Amino acid sequence: MATMPTDWKKLAAALEPPIPTSDVERIAPVLDALEAAFRPLARSLPPDAIPWTGPEDLE
Amino acid sequence: MTIVEAAAALRAKQVSTRELTDESLERIARLNPRLNAFITVVAESARIRASELDSELARGVDRGPLHGIPIAHKDLVLTKGVLTTAGSKLFADFVPDHDAEVAAKLSDAGAVLIGKTGLHELAYGITSNNPHYGAVHNPWDTERIPGGSSGGSGAAVAAGLVAMATGTDTGGSIRIPASFCGVVGLKPTFDRVSRRGVLPLGCTLDHVGPMTRTVRDAAISFNAMAKHSSSYVPPADADIRGLRIGLPSNFYFDRLDLETGGAVRAAVQIAAAIGGRIVDVRVPDMDALNTIGRLLLLVEASVALRPYLHRRADFGADVLALLDQGHLISTADYIDAQRLRRIYAREFSRLWTQVDCVLTPMTPMAAPRIGQTTVPLGGTSEDTRLACTRFARAINALGIPALSMPCGFTKAGLPIGLQILAAPNQEDTLFRAGAALEDALNLTVLPKPD
Repeated sequence: MATMPTDWKKLAAALEPPIPTSDVERIAPVLDALEAAFRPLARSLPPDAIPWTGPEDLE
Repeated sequence: MTIVEAAAALRAKQVSTRELTDESLERIARLNPRLNAFITVVAESARIRASELDSELARGVDRGPLHGIPIAHKDLVLTKGVLTTAGSKLFADFVPDHDAEVAAKLSDAGAVLIGKTGLHELAYGITSNNPHYGAVHNPWDTERIPGGSSGGSGAAVAAGLVAMATGTDTGGSIRIPASFCGVVGLKPTFDRVSRRGVLPLGCTLDHVGPMTRTVRDAAISFNAMAKHSSSYVPPADADIRGLRIGLPSNFYFDRLDLETGGAVRAAVQIAAAIGGRIVDVRVPDMDALNTIGRLLLLVEASVALRPYLHRRADFGADVLALLDQGHLISTADYIDAQRLRRIYAREFSRLWTQVDCVLTPMTPMAAPRIGQTTVPLGGTSEDTRLACTRFARAINALGIPALSMPCGFTKAGLPIGLQILAAPNQEDTLFRAGAALEDALNLTVLPKPD
């Protein structure tokens, strides 16, 4: 997901195997909503944030 | 019979393993046509194994509390020589040549494998309405879903077909069916039970755990399944005096069915009445954690199934749509989600300085009807899948242990579940709190249908 709203159809056409346009149209609203919820969270990340590493983060 | 009851009866020579196995097989023959809880039943090998285990007990060889107990595995746990479909057309003929580590451990503990239970296709969904193997039905009302993805395991335990069944939980797949079927389900701490030999869905979110009739049975099962455990099983007089029980003042009681909220709050009052110290707590932004968990799972599932994505006709429509979504999310966003996950996990972990466990509803409502795509909650209509996973998904992202257990029934007679959370590797706290509540609630009822 990019900063600008994502063109899911364009992206889907470039995938291997590609996703049929009719199927992309069905899932695009769900992805748009997920992107809208996720983008502000990602923007809030401090530069030194490191990924979750599993058991080490559970000690 | 529960595991505890069966184990006592076996040692008192009131019943044999072979009789327990025959009873389990008889119930499956009678009830499975209505429930569709099993994809495969291994009657012949179960009877042979049962006789071997009876001989061992007669010789004084006792493998422990699971010795001679009939169990089932969710049909994505690899079992040597036994069909393992993952509820998918892709694996319709897959017969593994080895056992999953957890299957081997349970076998070593003396459990008798009766069969493999049905699930949502590829464990990727919460209805267990499987397009290839048929819908699994809820034993309390066969018009309703058992939850999922471990719906066959939940239904099999609730209907008394087996005393224990394994489940996997990537976004609630043990705890949701436990809630809808009125049984106990444990999602252990991440990686505390081996995932080796269990077909993966979300590589950093998958958990393997037991589904049982009682909390003590869950403890016994977990002790046999875990890589390491304390062997703790709550005593008959489980005591929670002084235990600090967190009650969230935000998120978990929003948009909740009234009967569910009432039953969970009543359970909290009971916990206080038996000596628990109720502490109001505020949880971090769980909506954010749910978003992070969703994104992680979409990508991980898509990667896990990438070799099969060209076989679009072999997937059910709901699973294919999720796989397509995951395929379209960027790697950069996936890594950002893992970075956010760590920040929120650290924030959540601060709760453990205030409380020993946290008590929440398990699902916002009781089991929906088969085919119901939305549920009415808090004056709005909510997507069934998102509603069912609302209190579960974030916990997978945190990796902490969580116990789902019954706490009451709706007026229509459907089970209501509550969830207990604890710090990493504190499963014993869950068992202690859960057993004390279970004793105090005294909800013991006959399995249905019968």
